Amino acid sequence: MDALYNLFNVLNNVFVNIAIAIRSLFADPHSVWANLTMDVINFIIVVIIVVLAALILILLERKIAGWTSQRTGPNRLGPRGWFQTIADALKLMGKEDITPAGADKFIFKIAPMIIFSLPMMTLAVIPYGKGMAPLDLDLGIFYFVAISSISTLAFIMAGWGSNNKYSLLGAMRAVAQMVSYEIPLLFSLLGVVMITQSFNLGVIVEAQAGLPFIVLQPLAFGIFLIAGLAELNRAPFDLVEADQEVVAGPFTEYTGLRWGLFFLGEYGNMTALAALGATVFLGGWQGPIFLPGFVWFFMKTGVIIFFMMWVRWTFPRIRIDHLMHLAWKVLLPLSILNILLTGLGIYIYRLVMGG
Amino acid sequence: MFGKGLLQGLGITFKRMVGPNITEFYPEEKPNLPIRVRSSMGLDRDKCISCNLCANACPNSVIKLTSEKDENNKKRLSSYHMDVGRCLFCGMCVEACPTKALAVTQDYENAVFEPEEMKWDMLKRAEQKGKVG
Repeated sequence: MDALYNLFNVLNNVFVNIAIAIRSLFADPHSVWANLTMDVINFIIVVIIVVLAALILILLERKIAGWTSQRTGPNRLGPRGWFQTIADALKLMGKEDITPAGADKFIFKIAPMIIFSLPMMTLAVIPYGKGMAPLDLDLGIFYFVAISSISTLAFIMAGWGSNNKYSLLGAMRAVAQMVSYEIPLLFSLLGVVMITQSFNLGVIVEAQAGLPFIVLQPLAFGIFLIAGLAELNRAPFDLVEADQEVVAGPFTEYTGLRWGLFFLGEYGNMTALAALGATVFLGGWQGPIFLPGFVWFFMKTGVIIFFMMWVRWTFPRIRIDHLMHLAWKVLLPLSILNILLTGLGIYIYRLVMGG
Repeated sequence: MFGKGLLQGLGITFKRMVGPNITEFYPEEKPNLPIRVRSSMGLDRDKCISCNLCANACPNSVIKLTSEKDENNKKRLSSYHMDVGRCLFCGMCVEACPTKALAVTQDYENAVFEPEEMKWDMLKRAEQKGKVG
């Protein structure tokens, strides 16, 4: 039993120990150069996580789409089709890179890069395990939401830069939707922040050692999921892209790898939001002791991602006015009610416990 | 309850997800055709008595056959051609056949590249079939 426990401890701390080992290569483990080296390594790891997540998730989405409609999904390339995404990426690289005449070239070219860089910035504050946050930020949640809301800007840059009125219309729809849903998304996170008295994601995870916050904040978790889906522009809230109706909205003019970057960014953002949900509501790397913390974390993230895909292939697209009604008339009052109830709960708890 | 339909929908899709899929992996796994499928014709040369009833029964005059008499003054089939491009696979020729030499078969993959290839020489096909099968 002791041996098993030791093995678990080694596994649990393997990445932390590697980091300490790299730091100890420097004369002063906490010098500027050591910090810089660790930052670069952390950045590379986050980039790898984003790219790997996108590669796996694109295939997984197609597989789940297939399974839902009683097909197998891609099954030709590699074992059971698991190499399909690589072939897709290669195909996108081989395509002609077209910039429309009259496009605002700088904005047109920089929009996909911004979208793709956002998940890297947001995933940097997520604690992947005990002491494994690449960037242990005290304003973690605040930073996360602030950065992820920049994607609105990237959408409108893409729409404006394309010099195409339909793209611009699509971008406007994107902005209207994403700005509306940011508010319930933020408010749903506030309940947890009120309980833990901290914006730091690491502290929030530590506070969930006993029971995850989904038990205390089920309403907030529901609002978070719905608003998160809308924030990511995924079905049933994918009015922005809506492949069948408005030919991908702001991305209409994009080809080849630029379009691919939007896609990667979309899946990266999905990973980031699922990671945030797992951290804030499902207890992050906390879990029964028989698995290392980071495994628990990625499993919880995976469950949320699977739920998002499951929802996507179940529900039809929502109408635009219903979408706005849902945000402003249902989710926003509910999230404010949740904050009120949380505050009341904290007050009563303190009154009873005398805190 | 509000939202009951949403949960029901999720339940249905989940059942579909974990349930069996209905895709047929056609080129790798040949499908089991329904017993009434009529998709090809086959001829048994030894049974044929060259009575020409099949050619007469055919509504589209698909079948053209010739015969010659052998030393016992019996008709012997010398050529049997079908213009399958015009064939309905209605099976009237099979009904007319007194010796059951002609049969509707369930071979498929009959697509060809040139229109001339749709004129089947049934004797040659029968020989080839014997070789393959």
